[in-house]
Amino acid sequence: MSAADRERIFLENAAKASAGTRSVSGTGDLLAALERVVAMDSPVFCPGVTELEKAAAPLFPVRAADYAAAAVTVEEVFGAIAETGTIVCTSAGGRAVQAGLLPAHHVAIVRRDRIFDTLDDFFAAVAVAPPTNITLVTGPSRTADIELTLAIGVHGPERLDIIVARMQA
Amino acid sequence: MSHEQTSLAFRENTVRALEDSALRAAMKQATDTFGTKRADAFAPVRDLEALRDRASAIRDDVLANLPMYVDRFVASATRAGAAVHRAKDAETAREIIRKILADRGARRIVKGKSMVSEEVDLNSHLEAAGMEVVETDLGEYIIQMEGETPSHIIVPAIHKNRRQVGRLFADRLGVPYSDDPQALTKIARKALREKFLSADAGISGANFAAADTGSLVLLTNEGNGRMVTTVPKLHVAILSIEKMLPSLTDLPAFLRLLPRSATGQTITSYVSVITGPRKAGDATGAKELHIVLLDNGRTEILAGESRDILKCIRCGACMNVCPVYRAVGGHSYGWTYPGPMGMVLTTLLTGMKKSHPLVDASTLCGACVEVCPVRVPLADLILGLRRRKVRDGFADPRERRGMEAFGKAAASPALFALGQRLAGSFWPVVRVLWGKDVAGRMPAPANPPLRRRLP
Repeated sequence: MSAADRERIFLENAAKASAGTRSVSGTGDLLAALERVVAMDSPVFCPGVTELEKAAAPLFPVRAADYAAAAVTVEEVFGAIAETGTIVCTSAGGRAVQAGLLPAHHVAIVRRDRIFDTLDDFFAAVAVAPPTNITLVTGPSRTADIELTLAIGVHGPERLDIIVARMQA
Repeated sequence: MSHEQTSLAFRENTVRALEDSALRAAMKQATDTFGTKRADAFAPVRDLEALRDRASAIRDDVLANLPMYVDRFVASATRAGAAVHRAKDAETAREIIRKILADRGARRIVKGKSMVSEEVDLNSHLEAAGMEVVETDLGEYIIQMEGETPSHIIVPAIHKNRRQVGRLFADRLGVPYSDDPQALTKIARKALREKFLSADAGISGANFAAADTGSLVLLTNEGNGRMVTTVPKLHVAILSIEKMLPSLTDLPAFLRLLPRSATGQTITSYVSVITGPRKAGDATGAKELHIVLLDNGRTEILAGESRDILKCIRCGACMNVCPVYRAVGGHSYGWTYPGPMGMVLTTLLTGMKKSHPLVDASTLCGACVEVCPVRVPLADLILGLRRRKVRDGFADPRERRGMEAFGKAAASPALFALGQRLAGSFWPVVRVLWGKDVAGRMPAPANPPLRRRLP
């Protein structure tokens, strides 16, 4: 499967799971996408660790020092799975997976070359030495516990935005 | 008969359930919706039968080698830093967990949805020890507040409507009444967020356990499973031994089957794979992870003729299609697990003496066999338990005599014709004597019978 096909299938499936989806090329595009997606008057948590996060962090006027105090988390995630429209957060590299859980809005940046075709491809890659926590995230937090009526944002984020970033080497 | 006093009151419960029109409407809505969503979710899956075969073969392998996989899991999880405890029965499991919590001074506990914890009646044991145990799955939260048990393993509060939930929240949480599910969900989010952040410990179940990596796998939609397993510093997981998968690489087949079978989703919002507690350099995970592996009679089931029930992955699809479950709901079964898989597992775990009335709770239509994603031969298992019920002397002798009499009559054309004439003539008398309620549900015998009207 070509990288473009993989990205297209991933974005289609993520949108079916009610995630907001965007695709950007280069840092300028990424910042413009973030400006449209993030409410700039809200406290934003951005770890500022990866290259993309370092580029994004100065954009936010109200920075939260801790994800527990944030309304929005903007972060680069470990990868994604095209088959299910899933983003993957892991504890590898000292990442706090809860950062994408506690705030009501999660903005996940994923590099296009980190999209796996299938669940099998992903688990084959991580099963040798899994990090402490792997969380597959597909769409926002949801429940149908009251009369099977869909309600969004139970304990996790009520809004998930995914930005696929194609970066020039 | 002496066993009548201690057996599950299935028949009595069903009479009450069938008269409860609100319950019947809720059950119909839930099971119809899940049935349709399940069919839609599987429609685009290519080679579904091959996928089911593969998942079934993996589960067969797990059962054929269960002690080995459990040992392997214990070794892997221990290597990953978890403390693994083996509990032979419910009492041992409850006591292990109470002690872990008490030794660390944990008093405020948040809990994710776990049917195994219901099976061992964990909450009441911890509450008796002075701990506060809060169920955090929205459905479980609702029924815990009402003092009820789950009526469906996937949507535990499906028997309650939005107005009942609204009144309950207004009463107990002191919030303004609302009957909007989205607003009620927000109320629960706020109340439970405080509980998560102040909890001393989290208790969860697990959908699967990977023997090769020692990982626990949890599938959730709300995010409470993620909260319970990552926010408090202590995490205790309870699961039954048959939840093993040989390898983490076996998981994809089950991720494709379980959510589609359960709720008609392609995948749940969240899948958590937890391998040991927080390690040096980690910023995620409980500082301490305890895993309690419950046997509670499963090793005995494994050695017997009904062992295939242990293949079950608890999706609930068999319940949603079961004509008995759809009519009477989960509470009628009287124990943790309802529906076709429930009647089999309950009978095996609690014994024929207690559970023999459940063995009748099937029409043997086979719908459960058709939908089971891992090919549990539920109809065969139910038939096997019925034979055992007769063998163990729990069948009503009148039923046997009646069937024998019918067999003789049906084998003789003259007797059969006489029976038909008697039934036709005496039917009005039967209706008067036993009331319209009972006889009214049965079609009246044709008079004259069909065989006399055929040329």
